[in-house]
Amino acid sequence: MARLLQQEGFKAFVIAGGLRAWRKAGNPVEPVPQNDLVKLPSFT
Amino acid sequence: MNDLLPLISRHGYVLLAALCLAEACGFPFPAGLAILTAGAVAAYGGLHFHAVFVTALIAILIGDVTLYFLGRVTGWSLLAILCRLSASPESCILRSAEYFYRRGKTTLLFAKFIPGINTMSPPLAGSMKMRIEQFLQFDAVGAGLYVGAYALVGYLFSDFLRAITRGLRSAGFAMEVIVGIAIAAYVGYRIWVYRKYRLLDVAPRVPVDELARRLASDGPNILIVDVRSHGYYDEDAERIAGSVRIEPNNLEEEVKNLPKDREIYLYCT
Repeated sequence: MARLLQQEGFKAFVIAGGLRAWRKAGNPVEPVPQNDLVKLPSFT
Repeated sequence: MNDLLPLISRHGYVLLAALCLAEACGFPFPAGLAILTAGAVAAYGGLHFHAVFVTALIAILIGDVTLYFLGRVTGWSLLAILCRLSASPESCILRSAEYFYRRGKTTLLFAKFIPGINTMSPPLAGSMKMRIEQFLQFDAVGAGLYVGAYALVGYLFSDFLRAITRGLRSAGFAMEVIVGIAIAAYVGYRIWVYRKYRLLDVAPRVPVDELARRLASDGPNILIVDVRSHGYYDEDAERIAGSVRIEPNNLEEEVKNLPKDREIYLYCT
């Protein structure tokens, strides 16, 4: 995806290790906003 | 098949149970073929038909209940793993969930006959909080139909299966050559795909410490983008503070809203 963004002219980078590495290094995280959560059906 | 018949005859119920359990747990083992063969062996008196039925049924139910509880405990994470091989993991999860929800519990009655849905149904039922009594009720009937159908066909057409086995033995060498070529072609294809994506993988990677430093010194010019295609289903999902999400399956539209004057840092799980 970063490659595609670069082709579109964006200055794109990839965070090595992703969210896991970010969290492990003690950097700040936040809850995903309710609007971004995908609600899936439940039998209860 | 030509190997399975003598193997099932020799190791009987243990091998049958192992294959059924493995397939029910999501491993690519030919449980249907094993049940079919066990049915054929039962026709010749090598195994007892009822014992074949009960053995296969119990093994499948153990595997299904295991996946059900894994689905219940892990939420959507297990489905994300099972859908990882899919071209679009997110739509794989959503499609499976919708399909399962729409058809309700009756899916469990015929799911065993449909590859893919077969493995997805128990963790879906667990993830979607179906009651265990209900799950067991429908899953047991579905597994019973599956085992019964294969075992009965094997039992009734045992002579035909034996004839096929003899045919396969005589064509053994040709089969081995064909299988060898197919495996070689598949390995070649995987190497080609790997090399192709390695060539595309040229985007610079930035360690998290370096990014944290850049954020501290040049925060306004940095945009962190969450491109996870799944993992947004659990209520307690988290993301990097201040990041925004773009939908990877809708990249064409999403890029229109991205700023070209800022550095964009992408991340996933």
